[in-house]
Amino acid sequence: MMQAFRYSQSPYSIRDDLSAAYRAFWSRLASPGSWWTGAERVAIAQESRHAVKCRFCAERKEALSPYSFAGEHEHAGTLDPLVVDAIHRIITDQTRITQSYVDDNAGEGLSKEHYVELAGIVVVTFSIDEFHRALGLPLEPLPDPLAGEPTHYRPAHAVAGTGFVPMIPADGNVGQEADLWPEGANANVLRAFSVVPDAVRDWMLVGNAQYLSMEGMQIFAGDTGRCIDRMQIELVAARVSSHNECFY
Amino acid sequence: MMLSLSAKTTETAVDLQMVNGSSASDAQGIAHANELASFAEAIAQRDAAKIKRTRDALAEVAGDAIMIDAAAVAANFQRMVRIADSMGIPIDDKNVEAGAGIRQELELGRFASAQNTPSANR
Repeated sequence: MMQAFRYSQSPYSIRDDLSAAYRAFWSRLASPGSWWTGAERVAIAQESRHAVKCRFCAERKEALSPYSFAGEHEHAGTLDPLVVDAIHRIITDQTRITQSYVDDNAGEGLSKEHYVELAGIVVVTFSIDEFHRALGLPLEPLPDPLAGEPTHYRPAHAVAGTGFVPMIPADGNVGQEADLWPEGANANVLRAFSVVPDAVRDWMLVGNAQYLSMEGMQIFAGDTGRCIDRMQIELVAARVSSHNECFY
Repeated sequence: MMLSLSAKTTETAVDLQMVNGSSASDAQGIAHANELASFAEAIAQRDAAKIKRTRDALAEVAGDAIMIDAAAVAANFQRMVRIADSMGIPIDDKNVEAGAGIRQELELGRFASAQNTPSANR
């Protein structure tokens, strides 16, 4: 794992903080999480790579009613169909995920805690893969999973009411969750995965390198620590978000 | 919203329609704006041929380091929208009023995920 993301064959010089963040996430990915084993976590990441080329997903994306469109995903075959569908929807049709879908999945065995951890794995793996695709680089081989059992840790103060899943309240960055966000920075997107605190830590680890640190986000003019300035950063961010139909 | 805040802070003129991909608009105060926007759009569209073309174009005018930073930011926001939408989070209360003008100008209410913030659609 320590050899991952070395970019020795890359035509470009990749920043060390990017490769270090990606490597750290790969290590986390291989390890047992809060609700999934290491093997399951790696399988979820693998399935996220199938989603981008799934023909059923492409057809369903065009359908007016994605929840009544029948068919079968192209998948690796190791995960429950419910899990496969959740992974594929997050990658290919995320804007049409609904409260009912998440609730129904929970009723059928994909608990909200499992769903949040799954989403965390999918989106961080996807963002690393997208960086590679953007630069025309091959995808990094996934890590070998480590043995062990999930912790089943759930913050006792996570509550329903903000989105589709329970979240830690804005002032709930205390105790074991004190590091999740700094005082005053408690946007819903920071709290979105907080019923699985390590999922928050994972995306922030990669986000700090790909975008900006929490402190850096508060600086709208001046040195970004990057080669592009804040206006350029936000132009890229806004264009990607708009294409993805991001209302948030 | 962050683009707007950054523009305001730096007193830079930006036509926000560029965010929606309008080729007629431009952001005079942002260096390499058109190349950056085209590269970002190609990444979001997941079009390999367009990504290569726009990557080369951006690297030619701005250099590899800027192109790589832009790729990282774009990759980051490929993730962020999926966090927001998969969890169904609404816009933060403080931004419902503050961002109303921007959402209206860019007609963001047409997006399916707008339903996650009923208070912003009244």
